Amino acid sequence: MFLFLAGVRLMEDRVVAVKVVNFTKRFGNFTAVNGLNLEIYDREIFGFLGPNGSGKTTTLLTIATVYKPTSGDIFVYGHSVTREDYEVRKLVGLAFQDPKALWVDKVQELLEWHARVVGFSRGEAKKVVREVLETLDLWEHRNKYFYQLSGGTRKKLELAKVLIQRPRLAILDEPTAQVDVPTKHKLWNIIKELRDQGSTVIIATNDMFEAEKVCERVGIIYKGRLVAVDTVSGLKDRIPKGDVIEIVIEGDGRKDKAIESLMDLGRVEYQGNTLRIYVEKGEEKALLAADILRSAGIKVKSIMVKEPTLDDVFMYFTGARLVEES
Amino acid sequence: MASSILVIASRDLKRFWSYKFWLAGQVVMNVADIVIFGLLFNNMVNRSLIPDYIKFVTPGILSLALFISSFSIGREVGVELRREVTDYLLSLPVSRLELVLGRFVGGAFRGLIYQSGFLVLAMLLVGQPSPAAWLVIAYTSILLSLAMSGLSIALSTVTRDFNLQATIRSVVYYMLFFFSNIFYPTQVVSMRFGPLAPFVAYSPLSIATTLYRWGFGYLRDVDVVSNMLLLGVWTIVLLILSSVIYLRNLTRRG
Repeated sequence: MFLFLAGVRLMEDRVVAVKVVNFTKRFGNFTAVNGLNLEIYDREIFGFLGPNGSGKTTTLLTIATVYKPTSGDIFVYGHSVTREDYEVRKLVGLAFQDPKALWVDKVQELLEWHARVVGFSRGEAKKVVREVLETLDLWEHRNKYFYQLSGGTRKKLELAKVLIQRPRLAILDEPTAQVDVPTKHKLWNIIKELRDQGSTVIIATNDMFEAEKVCERVGIIYKGRLVAVDTVSGLKDRIPKGDVIEIVIEGDGRKDKAIESLMDLGRVEYQGNTLRIYVEKGEEKALLAADILRSAGIKVKSIMVKEPTLDDVFMYFTGARLVEES
Repeated sequence: MASSILVIASRDLKRFWSYKFWLAGQVVMNVADIVIFGLLFNNMVNRSLIPDYIKFVTPGILSLALFISSFSIGREVGVELRREVTDYLLSLPVSRLELVLGRFVGGAFRGLIYQSGFLVLAMLLVGQPSPAAWLVIAYTSILLSLAMSGLSIALSTVTRDFNLQATIRSVVYYMLFFFSNIFYPTQVVSMRFGPLAPFVAYSPLSIATTLYRWGFGYLRDVDVVSNMLLLGVWTIVLLILSSVIYLRNLTRRG
């Protein structure tokens, strides 16, 4: 049974599409993912949010059976990636972060071959490839070699493979990186349609806006560890003090002393000339904060009370800023 | 399973035709081998050993043509490994065995199709094979192309270092090519190579060349069955070893 609430679809009886159990992946001495436990539900769009090198791609490639877990296991609709990798691959479609092709490959030929491999007859392959190329505005590029394509077009080519396949589990590794903003919005709609037509979708991203816009639940992954999982609004609610006062200051004055005083209001983060204070009843505390700074001889350029963003959430759970880490 | 293998193989076959200039160069080289070596050497070599050098070398060029074209697949497999295109192949809904066999068959198709033109040339220059001889020729071509395709694929995945990869492939390529009876008769090989002679006589390229020479009627006294069995053993050993090496290296990072 589904409940629709503030744009977020909540499910009471949930089928688990992907179950990650104590998953660890090491490359030599480097631990890419450490003890990951997670459940991703059928027909949801789940986002892995984290900076580059956090372990997102490693996790996705292991779900797709490209890598094997060093320890632990992952189950895709009940099939183990370690023991039933072929069964898993039949259910999974993967759009890579870095598009995979050789310079001799032409767009249409590449996709028609992909369609044949995933089970379409020759005639069906031609038809479905044409449909997908037109959907993604790639038809005019159909006879181009891979090396002639721009970065954004190559990303669309990766997504095209998944759209052809319409897999039970679609894995999209940074699907809109290098893509212009209008196209991003179009691709987000296509991804939602993919879910609506029956696919479970996992997206890896370091784009907070993308995570908020597309994902029903988000897992924050940092340095190989999953630090939080929830709906976007749920994650925001988990910041104990629900408002963020953002103050841009000018001049130093008695800055350290002022910040010390602000800590009485709530947790304070300081970057460059911007202060963020995590508080309750932000409007009341903002005035107080401004008075404290003024009395310390610090000029306030701007002051704003806002709801926490996913970046604030990321900061809260990891102590690092996603934008800077990426 | 068979259809998945053929679909995988079709990709490698289609790519083969993309290398038009390389192909043109190969055809010119192989035809030149027959014409130049045939015309020049015909009057230079000992006629008691080789009565007609054109008829002698043409079946050898059949082996060579098949070898070069089947072996070409390794170059792309190496590039795929370096650019991580192999990750894409590993994510496809095919079994690992289908993937490996598909690649081997893809390389073999290249060899068989490329060789077909030279088979016609051999019929014109050397002689018409009997129906039984055609079966032996077909057997030889299928096995040699599979073995060379597998070997090339396995060698190309031994390292991701492009220079080292190219060096390894070149060394093996020239070893197989020169240490064979393609250009020299077995008697001369025995005289010149001494203790290495058996390695030359029993190399897959030499065995195939002997079978082609028999098939096109150039040689009469050939133990065809033993040679066919030996080629079968070579092929099985090379394909098993290549499968293990290719799969191990393909999934090494994972």
